[in-house]
Amino acid sequence: MSVDPVRLEIFKHLFASVAEEMGGVLRRSSYSPNIKERKDFSCAIFSSAGDMVAQAEHIPVHLGSMPLSVRACLEELELGPGDVAILNDPFRGGTHLPDITLVAPVFTGPDGARIGFVAARAHHADVGGMTPGSMPLATELYQEGLVIPPIRLVAGGKILSGIRDLILANVRTPQERSGDLDAQLAAVQRGADRLGGLSDRYGADAVGEAMEALLAYAERTTRRLLSSIPDGTYRFRDAMEDDGRGGGAAAIDVAITVQGDAVRVDFTGTDDQREAGINAVRAITLSAVYYVFRSLVGLDLPSNSGCLAPIELVTRPGSLVDARRPAPVAGGNVETSQRIVDVLLGALAGACPDRIPAASQGTMNNLVLGGLDPATGLPFTYYETVAGGAGAGASVPGASALHTHMTNTLNTPVEALEYAYPFRVTRYEVRRGSGGRGRWPGGEGVVREVELGAHARLTLLTERRRLRPYGLAGGGPGAAGRNLLVRDGREEELPGKVSLDVRAGDRVRLETPGGGGWGEAGET
Amino acid sequence: MERRPAEGVAPRAAGRPETPATRVAVDIGGTFTDFVVWAPGAADLRTFKVLSTPDDPARAVLAGLGRVLAGASEARPSPSIVHGSTVATNAVLERKGARTALVATAGFRDLLAIGRQARPELYDLMPRKPRPLVPADLAFEVDERVDHRGRVLRPLEDAEIDRVVAEIHASGAESVAVCLLFSFLRPEHERRLGERLREEGLAVSLSCDVLPEFREYERASATAINAYVSPVLGRYLGRLAREGPRAAWRVMQSNGGSVGLEAAGREGVRAVLSGPAGGVVGALHAAGACGWGRIIGFDMGGTSTDVCLAEGRPRVTREGTLDGLPIGVPVVDLHSVGSGGGSVARVDVGGALRVGPESAGADPGPACYGRGGDRPTVTDANLVLGRMDPEGFLGGTMRLDEEAARAAFGELAERAGLEPPPGLSPEQAAALGVVRVANAHMERALRVISVQRGHDPADFTLVAFGGAGGLHASALARALGIGRVLVPRTASVLSAHGMLAADVTRDYGLTVMLPGTTGADRLREGFAPLERRAREAMEGEGSASGLRLERSLAMRYRGQSWELDVPLDDDPPGAFHAAHRDAYGHADAGAATEIVGLRLRAVLPVRPPELPEAEEAGPDPGAALDGERPVVLVAAAGATVEPVPFYRASALRPGHRLAGPAVIVRDDTTLFLGRGDEATVTSRLDIVVGVAGTEVGT
Repeated sequence: MSVDPVRLEIFKHLFASVAEEMGGVLRRSSYSPNIKERKDFSCAIFSSAGDMVAQAEHIPVHLGSMPLSVRACLEELELGPGDVAILNDPFRGGTHLPDITLVAPVFTGPDGARIGFVAARAHHADVGGMTPGSMPLATELYQEGLVIPPIRLVAGGKILSGIRDLILANVRTPQERSGDLDAQLAAVQRGADRLGGLSDRYGADAVGEAMEALLAYAERTTRRLLSSIPDGTYRFRDAMEDDGRGGGAAAIDVAITVQGDAVRVDFTGTDDQREAGINAVRAITLSAVYYVFRSLVGLDLPSNSGCLAPIELVTRPGSLVDARRPAPVAGGNVETSQRIVDVLLGALAGACPDRIPAASQGTMNNLVLGGLDPATGLPFTYYETVAGGAGAGASVPGASALHTHMTNTLNTPVEALEYAYPFRVTRYEVRRGSGGRGRWPGGEGVVREVELGAHARLTLLTERRRLRPYGLAGGGPGAAGRNLLVRDGREEELPGKVSLDVRAGDRVRLETPGGGGWGEAGET
Repeated sequence: MERRPAEGVAPRAAGRPETPATRVAVDIGGTFTDFVVWAPGAADLRTFKVLSTPDDPARAVLAGLGRVLAGASEARPSPSIVHGSTVATNAVLERKGARTALVATAGFRDLLAIGRQARPELYDLMPRKPRPLVPADLAFEVDERVDHRGRVLRPLEDAEIDRVVAEIHASGAESVAVCLLFSFLRPEHERRLGERLREEGLAVSLSCDVLPEFREYERASATAINAYVSPVLGRYLGRLAREGPRAAWRVMQSNGGSVGLEAAGREGVRAVLSGPAGGVVGALHAAGACGWGRIIGFDMGGTSTDVCLAEGRPRVTREGTLDGLPIGVPVVDLHSVGSGGGSVARVDVGGALRVGPESAGADPGPACYGRGGDRPTVTDANLVLGRMDPEGFLGGTMRLDEEAARAAFGELAERAGLEPPPGLSPEQAAALGVVRVANAHMERALRVISVQRGHDPADFTLVAFGGAGGLHASALARALGIGRVLVPRTASVLSAHGMLAADVTRDYGLTVMLPGTTGADRLREGFAPLERRAREAMEGEGSASGLRLERSLAMRYRGQSWELDVPLDDDPPGAFHAAHRDAYGHADAGAATEIVGLRLRAVLPVRPPELPEAEEAGPDPGAALDGERPVVLVAAAGATVEPVPFYRASALRPGHRLAGPAVIVRDDTTLFLGRGDEATVTSRLDIVVGVAGTEVGT
């Protein structure tokens, strides 16, 4: 073995340190709260072949999908020294439009060999489209915002200002976008410097060998995990209950076949894509698959592409989990990704029930309120995702009131919110009794109620309002979520996905789903 | 804390450092309780360690103090004692604090349970939240509401107070945290509740006192921690005052300062990270004595390593956490990783050599302690590499078992399948690997606090302390391009030493949410109540003469959601733009700014003890030479085993110069110099290492 156990571990730290440092630069120099405070970004290092070697841990939904951005650049552009590519096209290396990714190759010198790539992805608060925030209830991609295919933003060290201007002319908050793009540029430049520095310090060959060794290491570890799962085919089916455009439920179906130390994950039985924003591109599906197996392996594995090597993902083009242009995809990241995790876990529960929790809330409860603030006369957009219950496991009750699986962003403090927006939070509490019953009960959801102080446009993108999070091993399902509008003392139940005008004095109440229970209640 | 007269507290001493009293610092650690004693006129500091008594920490403290003060004449002034304890920290970590209730605004009693809605680990299918300090059945609500301008939307009725007080009374709670929305703008509701609860004999913490700043969860968390630990800390400190020697007591705080006994017992939340804070102050103090202000502190202990960066004064953060719970009040900004002398090495399932986070601790400890430990640790690795003197550990009172260490590494080498380079045994190769991995982990931590935050490590002095710091410091400095390492003479008790130098310091803050263009008069008016509180508090400490008030503003661009601290001056927006450019590389001079909060730090300077300077000797350290031993050294060309001189630190004199490779053995730490490193002994017997340039390896 050319890379011994010591080198392996040292390079694990070295690469992780580069990714972390990129993340530090991005967070420090970014402009928008979404990056700075909610940390909705990821930075990663890639081998020369485009395999992800290390990632600073931030957002699970970026994990499996970032290598596809690098691969798209490899295939579509011949990036040379001093070049930086930019993209957000969901069908060419991206996921949904707000996630903009910058990719830079790293060389040993101006005429040298390529050592690898670095990439920085950040969720931009607005990339144009029908509504502020760029997550509308759309019927096609083009309504969701500006589409950027893989192109050069920097060529030979020079920023292509025309490209930059074109992007900034198509977004609602150009100054903020400009600041965030600069921060991403600073991050990839730092990453390129540091990766180049490692090559100077240890030699390009040694760095390349270490990358390969770390990929093999993650693959070995994952194969060991897979070997511990009994061979067989395990199926599960669940659904997105509604597409927000009247199309009804859309099933997601998976068959996981474990054979020895490899696995085939087949989504062929999934419904067709919709003319609605709940479609997921394959990169999202891959991320969810990665998240599930990465979590099963354990907490301290480096986040790299090696984990995916033993996993064969099969999707049907044109289906909900492998959408094709021009399907709208904004909700694929934030809602459908959760259901993909649900079906994966549901299937694996058939194989190793002790290691799999019941369904968690299965939604991010996206809430957007936009309008004009009467106090300042300025427009505002408030975006929040709301926590819910986690599913219980064998011997573990589900945790209450937290974000599960594919997201982990923070809430906005009530006091911060009331300073910033023309509304008031009237309740924010644990939704008692919402967790599924069971020997180990599911976690409880949350009640969050907001009273409007001005007219506003309300957009809700939520799930699990009808189809409840499943329980396991005889445990009961979590309670379905509810969206309510309280007007003149009357409560009206709103659909899971809706966009409507609300007025001053109205209250919007989200009651988020509980997690499923595990085992029959009363059993000891 | 009860307001019992603190017997033995000699008033005024804190503000009167010129009083020629003996000064003592006592720092409780997991294994040892450290003492540093400075007696006026004595030729030297006295330092010693007593085994900690975790079941009753006061026992070790009182025993050690008995030793310090035995035979002191009645005529001498009472000593002054600074104390850093783990009592508050452990009350939280072990969930052994007071039975605590929470009172929140109606609709928000789950404030602590919900938190910021994030899970601690990303890749955990069955996440758990930190165990709350307040159980769900002790969370109460009162019907009241204040808005963001401080207007009362729903008044708090007396009947409502009666109701909730009766419920709390019936609940069996001993301590109560009260956190109502926007109470920092209009504290009356909290105060009325507090009064009634106190009348019931309950300990009360009000959020408008503990942390009058916006963001309700962080404020409630600070208040709950305070309510939870203060009764326990108060009882403990009260006992020290009663049973300990007659003395002027001060208690170390997490912000790097210290306060009197009574305030400390009332504000327990301010003490939860006091131990590491002492280390930062000590490192700054030691470097300051050499004329250096910019330091990276590197405190490598048995189970973990704490690193920090400071420029002249401790850097504080309001984002500190303890066991996953936000502390809210300012604490010294530290980064901690699970890598220390006792960290255990193993080969994981994927075939990588891992070091830590599991630690052999103090018992059984590393294999070489000979107490039944048989797993290889970082300390064992250094011993196998020949970099420690097995006879010289803990001043020669404990012999290290080299055979046991080698055996542990023999097994590790086999499992790792390491190919030893020519000239090295498999055990040595494995030991070298473990040291390299541990260094890689610590280098990463050092990068987090320096490079990641925009600092070039080359501009700093690495101050190494803790039991294991000296063995790794010069290699780490080399890896980071740091040219100078300082190993203070009191490296193994630096935290206690730092406590002697900790100023009496209190932090105040208040959220105001004003436009950045607010006039100076209005700001002065805003600071006035904070200043009044500070003065009153300092007078309570004995004296407010010499009080220094440092005013700053927490500012941000309108619409942003994070703040930067900017010293108060004539042009707050201008100062903020400059600070923003410094911190983040860009500023937007056209954008509107906002003053989120006022911040006041009140400092009563304490003169650090002046150490007598020892007499200069020549550069030749020959007198301290204690023979040569074979040591594994690494150069670009490969590893070799060579005879290396060992020196006894006790025989080193100011002016001595030592060229690496060399090993300097102190009673409780060892300093390893690589090839090309050059060490000088200062007049205070600290050791300064000029670090040789780049060299790959260890």
